[in-house]
Amino acid sequence: MKLQLFKSDMNSNGYTLQKMAIRLGAFAAFLGIMVFFAVTARGFTTSYNILNIIEQSTILGFLAFGITVVFIGTGTDVQKGGIDLSIAANAGLCAAVYAVLLERGYGDSLAIPAAIATGLCVGFLNGFAVVTLRIMPLLSTLAVMNIAAGLELAVTQNTVIGAASPLLDTLAFGKFLGISALAWCLIIGAALMVAIVHYSPVGLRLYSVGGNVEAAKSVGIYAGRYVYGSYLFSGFAAGAASILIVARLSASTPGTGLLLLPVLAAALLGAVFSRRFVPTIGGTLLAVLFIGALSNGFQLLGISSYWVSGVQGALILVVVAVTSFAKKS
Amino acid sequence: MQSNKNKNRTMITASLLTIAMAASSYSIAADDLPLAGKTVGVTVIGTDHDWDLKAYQGQVDELKALGAEVIALDAGRNDQTQISQIQTLIAQRPDAIIEQLGNLKVLNPWLKRIKQAGIPLFTVDTATPHAINNTTSNNYNIGAELALQMVQDMDAKGKVVMFNGFASVPVCKIRLDQVRYVFESYPDIEIIDPELRDVIPNTVQQAYSDMTDMLTKYGPDSGLKSVVACWDVPMIGATQAIEAAGRTDVKTYGVDGSPEYVEMVKDPDSQAGAVVVQQAYEIGKQAAQNVATYLNGGKVPSFTMVPAVLVNKNSEL
Repeated sequence: MKLQLFKSDMNSNGYTLQKMAIRLGAFAAFLGIMVFFAVTARGFTTSYNILNIIEQSTILGFLAFGITVVFIGTGTDVQKGGIDLSIAANAGLCAAVYAVLLERGYGDSLAIPAAIATGLCVGFLNGFAVVTLRIMPLLSTLAVMNIAAGLELAVTQNTVIGAASPLLDTLAFGKFLGISALAWCLIIGAALMVAIVHYSPVGLRLYSVGGNVEAAKSVGIYAGRYVYGSYLFSGFAAGAASILIVARLSASTPGTGLLLLPVLAAALLGAVFSRRFVPTIGGTLLAVLFIGALSNGFQLLGISSYWVSGVQGALILVVVAVTSFAKKS
Repeated sequence: MQSNKNKNRTMITASLLTIAMAASSYSIAADDLPLAGKTVGVTVIGTDHDWDLKAYQGQVDELKALGAEVIALDAGRNDQTQISQIQTLIAQRPDAIIEQLGNLKVLNPWLKRIKQAGIPLFTVDTATPHAINNTTSNNYNIGAELALQMVQDMDAKGKVVMFNGFASVPVCKIRLDQVRYVFESYPDIEIIDPELRDVIPNTVQQAYSDMTDMLTKYGPDSGLKSVVACWDVPMIGATQAIEAAGRTDVKTYGVDGSPEYVEMVKDPDSQAGAVVVQQAYEIGKQAAQNVATYLNGGKVPSFTMVPAVLVNKNSEL
């Protein structure tokens, strides 16, 4: 008996050590890359550039928060857990709806709720497919991604739709305390997310549903509602991000769907930065800034943007491999 | 007679081009490395098409040849990436920035920021009030010349399919507006409404399938005679669709001079009617030379036009 206990202690220590090694490795890689850029890339460490990185990461951050909530509410197991592959295409559709309404003369008071409602509708469709129809999330959200991408093309005719409003001007060019409005959006958005996800009863219940759905059900939590809710939130995040996209580009343009790869990379990488390898808002924020800094550093060094996609894909592979390896052991 | 006329036109344009190039080379010959010690940023929306790549290479090669350190950024056809790249370039404070193509609605607020940051801005194929100089082809002439060739081939009557997916790209708007302007004088020519949308990526495949649908809708007795776009990559797909449908009554017309399309125009059996070939590499070189002139205190005009040549079935290339 004593021996067994000792053995299990050993296992748990080994497990913790391994996890810690991976986590420290992730932080070391992050720091190492930052130091490399600071030494080699001209202008990387200037305050102007660091604010640029935060600003450039805002849209990615909003979308990554959306997918992180889906991961929290449905578990991070790549096969059994949930995922929202439609989030970037959804943001593209919301941006299209928003820009078209502004172009036709409707103000922000109508266009913003319409964009958010569009995002929520797509989120609801995902929830319906996953929870009610019980279709595998990878497939159902892939199908919804195509629906959203198709609708975006139908709304915009695959063209660039220019958009202007006082709010968009403030978001794109406004500054407060020397920090741009978009960067503020990320800072405030992240703080709100931390408060809701990590410090509210709703957030804790969401974690329990994603951690062990049977246990959550046994204590009276309506698991299905939380899964539905996580997809709805993901849709909301796409809607909110779409307004920032239109602000940054002064238009809705084709190609928003391409954000899916960095968004997935950020949300998956975020888990590595957390103590128990679970998705957290802080971890996702760190991962978003890491990916933002990576793109920025590559640009400063004049390395082709095509490599950034390659690196993001490789990151996803490494992170998924490392986390599933760590969980199995 | 017609052949001689075209031959003469081609020869005159070619001579003008040679003179223009010689003059511009001379203007910077005074100093071997006029851009030594200078850093120049280059941002382009994409390099996936022949024209884009050649113009981009022209800039980078010439800037390096003139002694500049070049930060060259390719946005991979993604507006978000291009905006981030422009923002990053501003942070690096180069001595000048050259911007090539892209959507003006997206770019203009950011080009303004470059100007506000005090960095001299030069553009390639992008007319904007924020640039010191725009190096481009004479797109007004390109549109008009192409339209006149179409009028001639159509005997001034018939229907035209127009691909118009890039109205937010200034050079495209100018060319197709000019085509419409020329057609105004020929009331028997009708542009089919609605116009089609050419796309990036999958340009050739999409144009092929759209054109196939149009050929089904507008049969041999419909009066459909021409297809036109502001560039020539969609015309490769449209020409293939026309030939696959066995139609000899419809011809295609484009701009740029992508090697595949020029080959089609030269092939007497192909339905590709004519293409206005631009000197993309020379445009890029010229933009770099303008930067050198400006940074050495010289005066640079608000636009520099590099001649383009119309190539049709009768041209000798």
